[in-house]
Amino acid sequence: MAEFTAAVYQNEFLPDGGTDVNAIVSVTCAGAGTAGQGGSAAAGEIIIIDTSGSMGVESMEAAKQAATAALAEIVDGTYFSVVSGNGAAFLVYPPVSSGPGMVVMSPASRAQASAAVAQLRAAGGTVISTWLDLAGTLFASVPQVQQRHAILLTDGENNERPGVLQQAIDRATGYYQCDCRGIGVDWKVSEIRPIAQALLGTVDLIPGPGQLRAEFEAIMRTAMSRGVADAELRVWAPQGSQVVFVKQVSPTVEDLTSRRSIVNDLTGGYPTGAWSDESRDYHVAIRLPAKAIGQEQLAARVQVFAGGEVKAQGLVKAKWSDDSALTTRIDQQVAHYTGQAELAQVIQEGLAAKAVGDEETATTKLGRAVQLAVETGNDEATAKLRKVVDVQDADTGTVQLKKAVERADEMALDTASTKTTRVRRS
Amino acid sequence: MTDAERMTCPACGEQLADGAQFCEACGASVSGVPAPVAWAGAGSDLDDLSPISRPTARDAASSGPPAVPAPRACAQCGSPVGDDGYCTVCGSKAPSERDHFEQAPSAWVAGVCDRGVKHARNEDAMALFAEPDRGGRAVLVVCDGVSNSDGSDVASLAAVQAALEVLRPPLPKGMGDAASADAVATRVLTTAAAAANTAVIAHTEPSSARPASCTMAVGLVDGATVRCAVIGDSRAYLLPDEGEGSQLLPDDSMAQALIAAGHPREEAEASPHAHAITKWLGADSPDVVPRVATVTADRPGWLLVCSDGLWNYASEPEALRAQVDAAGTTEPLPLASALVAWAIAQGGHDNITVALARVGPMPVGENATDDERQVHG
Repeated sequence: MAEFTAAVYQNEFLPDGGTDVNAIVSVTCAGAGTAGQGGSAAAGEIIIIDTSGSMGVESMEAAKQAATAALAEIVDGTYFSVVSGNGAAFLVYPPVSSGPGMVVMSPASRAQASAAVAQLRAAGGTVISTWLDLAGTLFASVPQVQQRHAILLTDGENNERPGVLQQAIDRATGYYQCDCRGIGVDWKVSEIRPIAQALLGTVDLIPGPGQLRAEFEAIMRTAMSRGVADAELRVWAPQGSQVVFVKQVSPTVEDLTSRRSIVNDLTGGYPTGAWSDESRDYHVAIRLPAKAIGQEQLAARVQVFAGGEVKAQGLVKAKWSDDSALTTRIDQQVAHYTGQAELAQVIQEGLAAKAVGDEETATTKLGRAVQLAVETGNDEATAKLRKVVDVQDADTGTVQLKKAVERADEMALDTASTKTTRVRRS
Repeated sequence: MTDAERMTCPACGEQLADGAQFCEACGASVSGVPAPVAWAGAGSDLDDLSPISRPTARDAASSGPPAVPAPRACAQCGSPVGDDGYCTVCGSKAPSERDHFEQAPSAWVAGVCDRGVKHARNEDAMALFAEPDRGGRAVLVVCDGVSNSDGSDVASLAAVQAALEVLRPPLPKGMGDAASADAVATRVLTTAAAAANTAVIAHTEPSSARPASCTMAVGLVDGATVRCAVIGDSRAYLLPDEGEGSQLLPDDSMAQALIAAGHPREEAEASPHAHAITKWLGADSPDVVPRVATVTADRPGWLLVCSDGLWNYASEPEALRAQVDAAGTTEPLPLASALVAWAIAQGGHDNITVALARVGPMPVGENATDDERQVHG
């Protein structure tokens, strides 16, 4: 049985009149087990492969191999199906046109599915909304599947009117999770990232067909290790207070504030999806009415709610003090993740400015990003930034945009912008 | 007493000290916990050296789910307090029962003991006893743990309970004359101080470099006779409704030494070492014989026994009287609460204990209902 623990890092001391409480709540899950094996609820996996004409022979062959590798990772007993997508979505396996659209993984079904994947050919356009909708329909056709996860591979720009994809994303949100991968440099991070963010998945760039197989294996292995089907982060805040934001800050930055569902008058629930044995950190910011010096109160109860019960609880506190030695201290974790969240934001803003030719803003934002990456010890971000800008002084954030930048490097910086490093805990 | 016979906290299961009113681990009130029956299983002959721990000290018949106490109400908004000690609605921290407790052993005696604002824990302690009817006997004991000594919160609580146990039985009357009664009372009050001192030492780590220590102030009411005993700077005041009040005994403090040397009280009490006490209870105390005084309450009023957390803000009897009048109540518990709230409003720099007994003859209006009840009852 999975066990959760929650640890809170914060400076609970507020100065006279202070109202804002920031805390990092580190949630760790242990003993998660394997997806679909824990209880009555089954797990389902759908592999969605882009088969648009732009894929070409090399990418198409790599995608087939990757899909086959992913099928090999799906644990027997898991429900699955394979979808191909171009201008419309097609059910590749199982070969049915009505009834349940997923079958249980077994050596036989794995072999049949692999054979079906081998028949795929690249042709046609890219209408991702139809792919997402078919996945949703397939999951819905097998009601016992309660833990739903998909992998989506694409290589090109989505060809549909603005808003259509977003509507499909909205239909899938809260129903299944989806990890997205883009192959090559012709897809748009800004199109695919919203899918991954809304569907509690990851987004990444796969520069060449050669890396695809290993990536799909890894994604599926991670998915199968998520023995906790669904967990919710519940944040109670006192009457009269305001939850300023709730963000996941590790392993990636995901702002969950707008994802709040109402648990009761004082408690909001934020989706976190399925869990394996892992740690995730959340930054919770609460604004309280100030109290008198010497008063103490609870600013937030942060709970992990899974399987119908509270699995762990962390308490975020506020104590008003006139001792400035206490109130001016900034918690190391809070400072670190505040920097990392800003890093993600300035990278994205900097690249967006660069894309529209606003070099001045791009230089400022990416310079700040270099500064933050160095400050917070995010070596991956630093390395990726150095491929896009020439760093003159990292400490002050003085940079120049490189004249010639590989598009893949820019996209890699963009997709990696939300990845954070953890602060070493003493 | 073997381990199995010791009481455990119903809230957290921690072992309790003898006669404990609060769990030292979680702060829950345990004064109502009945002494468990001795474990009657096969291991009842186990001695302290036995290698296994005993699962529980309950017998099988009484072992059911432990009673869940009703949630406490938040002092700020009245909503239930959560298991984590914070209000479920406004988030205010509920004081632990060691940090704030009230006692009202009868309608004419009550007290409030509170952590105050600045101190992290409540090292004051209070124990009260009173016969049901006014005009009977009452015992008010207040101890103030010295904050730079180790574990003085535990020691002060042990001290008040030890002193109360000595003072609870009616005093022997001696030869029957006043001088003899005074001598007997002095002896018992001295015994109470010695018992409190023993309790403090029993709760002190022998190796402690700063052994636990505390003050003690006792008020004894028996009809119109009010006796008090003081060690350190906790005080007893007699505050009649009309006329001048008085502090019944001087402090054992540097401030008092300065006053004795001719300095004005205000100046003396503001001096840097004013609060250094010259007498205390504890392992390193050279002298635990209290000062003792006896007065007759010939007018209705209050016996107030308090720690310096109150009198720091109103040392003169008249200043205290002003706050008593401002509270506008003749009920002892609301009055004690009001005085504590006032001290908190003044800054609450120290722990605050206020124990009150209504003393002196009952005015006509006040006892009319009692008389009627006697007539009709």
